[in-house]
Amino acid sequence: MKKKILASILSAGMLVSLMAGCGSNAAETGNEVQSGGTEKSSDSEKQSTKVDNADDAIQGLIDSTDGTVELTLWCSETEAYQTTMKEIVDEFEAAYPDVDFDITIGAESEANCKDDVLADPEAAADLFVFADDQLVDMVNAGVLQSIDATYTYDPAETNAVSTVEAASVDGTLYAYPLTASNGYFLFYDKNELTDEDVSSWDNLLAAAEAKGKTVGMEVSGAWFLYGFFAGAGLDMHLGDDGKNVCNWNATDTKYTGADVAAAVTKICQSSAMVNCVNEDAQAFALDGKMIADVNGTWATNAFMEAYGDGYAAVKLPTFTVNGDQVQMSSFAGYKFLGVNSYSKNIGWSMLLAEYITSEASQEKIGVATGEGPANINAAASEEIANLPALAALTDQSNYADLQRVGDNYWDPAATLGQSLVEGKYDDVQALLDEAVEGITQ
Amino acid sequence: MKKAWNIIWKHGLLIILSVIWMIPILWLFVTSLSGYKGINTMHFFPQEWTLDNYKQLFFEPDTVANFPAWFKNSMIIGCFVCLISTFFVLGVSYALSCMRFRGRKQLMSFSIILGMFPGVLSMIAIYFVMKLVGLSDSIVGLIVVYSGASGLGYLICKGFFDTIPASLRESAKLEGASQLTIFTRIVIPLSKPIIVYTVINSFLAPWMDFVMAKLMIKSKNPVDWTVAMGLYKLVERTLVGNYFSVFCAGGIIVAIPISVLFVIMQKFYVEGITGGAVKG
Amino acid sequence: MRRYFTDFGKAIKNGDVWTRLSLIVMGAGYFGRKQIVKGILMTLIELGFVLFTARVSWQYIRRLNTLGTVQREEIFDPLTLSKTVNDYDNSLLILLLGVIGIILIFAFVVLYIGNMKHVYSLQRLKEQGKHINTFGEDLAALVNEKFHITLLTLPALGVILINVIPIIFMVCVAFTNYDKDHQPPTYLFTWVGLENFEQMFTSNTTVTFGFVFVRILIWTLFWSVIATFSTYIGGILLAKLINDRVVKLKKLWRSIFVVTIAIPQFVTMLLVGKMFGDYGIVNSICNNIGLTGWMQSAGLVSDGLSYIPFLSKPGWAHVTIILINLWVGIPYQMLAATGILLNIPEEQLESARIDGANERQIFRKIIMPYMLFVTGPSLITALVSNINNFNVIYLLTSDYVTPSMKFANSSAKEVDLLITWLFTLTNQESNYKMASVIGIIVFAICATLTLISFSRFIAGNREEDYQ
Repeated sequence: MKKKILASILSAGMLVSLMAGCGSNAAETGNEVQSGGTEKSSDSEKQSTKVDNADDAIQGLIDSTDGTVELTLWCSETEAYQTTMKEIVDEFEAAYPDVDFDITIGAESEANCKDDVLADPEAAADLFVFADDQLVDMVNAGVLQSIDATYTYDPAETNAVSTVEAASVDGTLYAYPLTASNGYFLFYDKNELTDEDVSSWDNLLAAAEAKGKTVGMEVSGAWFLYGFFAGAGLDMHLGDDGKNVCNWNATDTKYTGADVAAAVTKICQSSAMVNCVNEDAQAFALDGKMIADVNGTWATNAFMEAYGDGYAAVKLPTFTVNGDQVQMSSFAGYKFLGVNSYSKNIGWSMLLAEYITSEASQEKIGVATGEGPANINAAASEEIANLPALAALTDQSNYADLQRVGDNYWDPAATLGQSLVEGKYDDVQALLDEAVEGITQ
Repeated sequence: MKKAWNIIWKHGLLIILSVIWMIPILWLFVTSLSGYKGINTMHFFPQEWTLDNYKQLFFEPDTVANFPAWFKNSMIIGCFVCLISTFFVLGVSYALSCMRFRGRKQLMSFSIILGMFPGVLSMIAIYFVMKLVGLSDSIVGLIVVYSGASGLGYLICKGFFDTIPASLRESAKLEGASQLTIFTRIVIPLSKPIIVYTVINSFLAPWMDFVMAKLMIKSKNPVDWTVAMGLYKLVERTLVGNYFSVFCAGGIIVAIPISVLFVIMQKFYVEGITGGAVKG
Repeated sequence: MRRYFTDFGKAIKNGDVWTRLSLIVMGAGYFGRKQIVKGILMTLIELGFVLFTARVSWQYIRRLNTLGTVQREEIFDPLTLSKTVNDYDNSLLILLLGVIGIILIFAFVVLYIGNMKHVYSLQRLKEQGKHINTFGEDLAALVNEKFHITLLTLPALGVILINVIPIIFMVCVAFTNYDKDHQPPTYLFTWVGLENFEQMFTSNTTVTFGFVFVRILIWTLFWSVIATFSTYIGGILLAKLINDRVVKLKKLWRSIFVVTIAIPQFVTMLLVGKMFGDYGIVNSICNNIGLTGWMQSAGLVSDGLSYIPFLSKPGWAHVTIILINLWVGIPYQMLAATGILLNIPEEQLESARIDGANERQIFRKIIMPYMLFVTGPSLITALVSNINNFNVIYLLTSDYVTPSMKFANSSAKEVDLLITWLFTLTNQESNYKMASVIGIIVFAICATLTLISFSRFIAGNREEDYQ
C-alpha cells in the first residue's frame, strides 16, 4: 500500500521537477511526506517551483473552464482584512475576463482554521488563511495542496527565506506565505518609559513600580512562555518522529531549567507585573494603568489608541538569569494562504492564491492591516517598513525561532506557566520534569 | 407586631434575591449602552453612554456582525421547528397516552434509553448523516436536526394527557367519534397549557443552541448564521475587544421578545410543567 | 419470540398460490385479494429496497470488516493545473452507510415477515368468507384504530435519522482507531477491538486517561447531585416565599426571576463568566473594597495572585460554578414548584396549623414529602440532565487552565464534566475514539440511574391512577 503512495508521489515530484527544470532532490523530499516528521530544515535548498511555460498552462486552464468557477476563501474576520481581500478578489476576477467567477469570502479567525478545516475538509473553503503553527497538522491530515508548481511568481525568490522555510515541510512548500508578523514584541508608552527602561525586565518593572503602573504579558500562555526558556538557550521543537523534543528540565546546560523558572517567577512577583490575556491588557492600557505589554500586531490599533502620541514598540527586553542579562527569544509567526487539496477547482484556487500573495496584494494587505508582508519588496516599502510595530518585530526576528511545535506542547506548557506565575511550587525540578514529560509525550 | 415583622423580612429577602438575580441582566443592559466596545473590567456602569451598539446591530451590518440576517434565519428556523416539533410531540404523546397498541411499553422504554445517550457525542455523526442527504450547511438541515428527534421529548406532555379523564374519550368513542376527532376536538382543546409549553420550548431551541449550529453551518459568511452562532462568534478571542458591547446589545434584543412571551404565558407554562410533572 | 417465527412458517406452509407468491413479489398476496393499491405500494417498497441495497449500500456493507483498504492518492499535473485522484475508500462513509444499510436490511426483514403474516391472514379471511377491507377502509383505519401509526411514523423516522443512526455509528467508533492520525477522507481507520477501553482505564506517566477519568467521573457525579438538589430545594423555598400569603405583587416577583430564563444561556453564562474573570468586574470590585487583600491574609488566595481566582483555580472554580448554577436553575425549579405548591390541599395545611405545627414543621412534614412524591421522577430526569449539563460548564470554564500536568496531558480540566471533556476531545483533538468510549460510559451511568429510579417511580401501572 505504502509503496503505491510513494510511487505516485515520486512520479508527481518528478513531473514537477522536470517541469521546473530543476530535478535536484525532488524525489528525496517526496518520500518524507508520509512520515509526518519535520526537521529544522535550515539545510534545505531553496527550490524554484516556477513553471517555465506558465502562460500556456494558464491559457489551457481558461480554455478548459466552462461554467461558473465557485471558490470560497476564508480569512480573518476583521474589517480591514475582509475589505482588502474583497478588492483583491475583484482585481483577480477582472484579470481573467473570459472566466465567470463566483468567489465568496468567509470570516474565519486564523487561529481556528485548523479545527474547522479538519472537521470536514470537503466542506471547508478552497483557500484559507491560517497561522503557521497549524501547518504540520494540516499537512499530516493531507488537507493542504502541496505547491509543486507556480505560475505567476516564484515564492522561493520573492519571500524571505525564513518565511518559505516555515511554509515548507521537508523541503516541500505547502502554503503561500502571506504575512511574517505573527510574532510578539513589546508595546510601550514612551511618555512614561525611556529606551533604557524597556531594554530589560528589571528596568521596566522598576520603572513601572515607581510610577505605580503595570506591565503586562501572558506568561501563563504557552506561546509567550517559550520566549524565556528559548532565550536562555533551552530547546523545544518538534522532532522527526512527530513528538516534541524539549530540555527545559536540563540541569547540565549553561542556564538550567530551574534557573529560568526562578527568573520567570521573580519577574512575575513584581507588584507591577500583570499576567493577563490580550483583551484584558487592552482594557488596562486604555484605562491608563498598563504602560507596557508583550503582545502582537493584532493589538496594534488598541495600543495606538491607548497610548496616543506616546505609542511605541520595541523588541522584547532582556531578563536576568543567574545574574546575567539574557535576551528573550520568541516565536516568529507567519500567516499562510493554503489551498485545500479537496478543492474542486484546484487550478483556479492556486492561481487565486498566487494573486493574493503577490507583491502588490501583500503590500495592500500590509498597509490595510498593519501586518508585515512576507514578500521582501512589499515589506521594504516605505509605508510599511516605518510602522513601529513592524520595526520592533524586525529587531526581534534576530532572536525569534520558527514555530514548529507538536500539539502536546500547549496544555502542559500553559500549566507550567501558570505555576511559575504564582510561584507556588515546592520542587521546581519536579515541576519541570513533569512538564517536559507532558510536552514530549 | 409579629405579623408586620413577617411581612418586612419576607419582602426584604425577596428584594435582596431579586437584586442578585438582576445584576447580570442589568450589566448586560448597561454594557449594551456602553461607548467602549470591549469588556469593561474596571467599572460596572459605562463611562460613556450611547445607542450606537443598537444602531450598529440593526443598520450597519459589517463583515462579522449581520444581525438582521441572523435574526431572519433564527426566526425561520424557530417557526418551522416550532410547528414540526409541536406536531410531533402532541402526536407521540397522544398515541402513547390515549391509545393502546402492541409494543407501546417497549417503545416508551426504548425512547427513554435513547435519551440517555449524550447528544454532544452524536453531533458529529448527525453532521455526516445530514451531509449524506445533502442538507448540511443549510437552514433546512438545521430545521431537520432541531425538530427531527423532538418526538423523544414527549414525557411531560404525555404526563399531562394522562391526567385528562379517560371517561371523556370513552363517551366520545361511544358516540362514534374517530381517534382523530377525539384528538383534535377533545384532547387538544383541554391541553392549552401544555401546548403553550411545547410551543415555547421548541421555538426557543434554535435561539439557544450554538454548538449544533456551529457544527452544521460550515459557511463562514455571516449572512448564513443564526443569532446564537453569530453572537457566540462576537465573543471569540480576536473579536471580543471590538464587539463585546454589540454582543450585549444582541443579547438584549433576543431576550426582550422571549421575556415578554414568558411573562405573558407564565400561567400556562406553570400549569404545563406541573400538569406534566405530576406524572413525569 | 418463537411464535413470531412459527406464525411465519405457518403462513408459508398453509399459504395458497398468492400467499406463497408474496415470498418473491411482496404485493402478490394483495393483488390476489383485489387490494391493488396496497399491492403496488408493497411491491414498490420491495423494489426500492432491493435497488438501494444492491446499488448503494451493499458496496459499503461488504467493506465493513476492514473499513476500507485503498488510501487516497493524488497526482497534480502542473501543465493543466488539474489533478487526478484515485478511487479511494472513505472509512467514515463505509461505517456510516454500512450502518444505515444494515438497519435497512433489518427493517426490511421485519416488514417482510410481517407482510407474509398479513397476507396469510387475508387468505384466511377470504377462506372464511369474511369482509376484506378496501383501500379506502384501510385509510380510514389510519385515523381511527390505527391512528397511532399515523401519529408515530414521522416522529419515529426523525428519531431514527437524528438519534438511532448517529448513536450506533458513534458506538462503533469506540472500537476503531478513529483519531487525529486516522482521519478520513485522507486516511483510513479500522477496527481495534477493546484497545480504547483498556486505554481509558489504564494510566502511566504519559497516558493519563485512567487517572483523569476517575477524577472527572467523581466530579461529574458530585456536581449532578449537588446541582440538582441545590436548585430543587432553592426553587421550592423561593416558590414558597413568593406564594406566601403576606407577600404582595406575586406576579411581579415571579416575573423578575422568569426573565433570567428568557435570556439564552450562552449569553448569560458568557457574561457571568467574564464578570468573574481574573480581571473581571467582580475582581475589580473585590480589589477596591479590600476583599482580595483580606482573603490573601486569611490564606484563601495564594500570595502570587492579585485577584480572586473565581473561575481559574480548582476548588474556587468548583464552588463558583455551583453557585452560578443556582442562579441558572432556581427560577426553573421555582416555576415548576409554584404549580405544585398551589395544588397542596389547603385543608391539610390548615389542620396542621390548628394542631399547633409551626411553619418549619409544616414544610418538613407536609410540603416536602408531597413535593418529593409528585416530582420524584422529574428529579431523576434533572439528575441525568445535569450529568449532561454542557452549557454551564463549557461556557464558564473557557479560560480555565489546569494546574495539573496529568490533566493537561489528557486535554482535560478539573472542572470538566465527562460531557465537556468528550467535547474537547472531538472538537479540538479529533480524538473520536476516546470520546466515544466516554460517551458509552456516560450512557451506562445514566441508564443505570434511570433504570433504578424508573422501576421504582414509573412502574407502568401508575399510569392510569389519575385518569
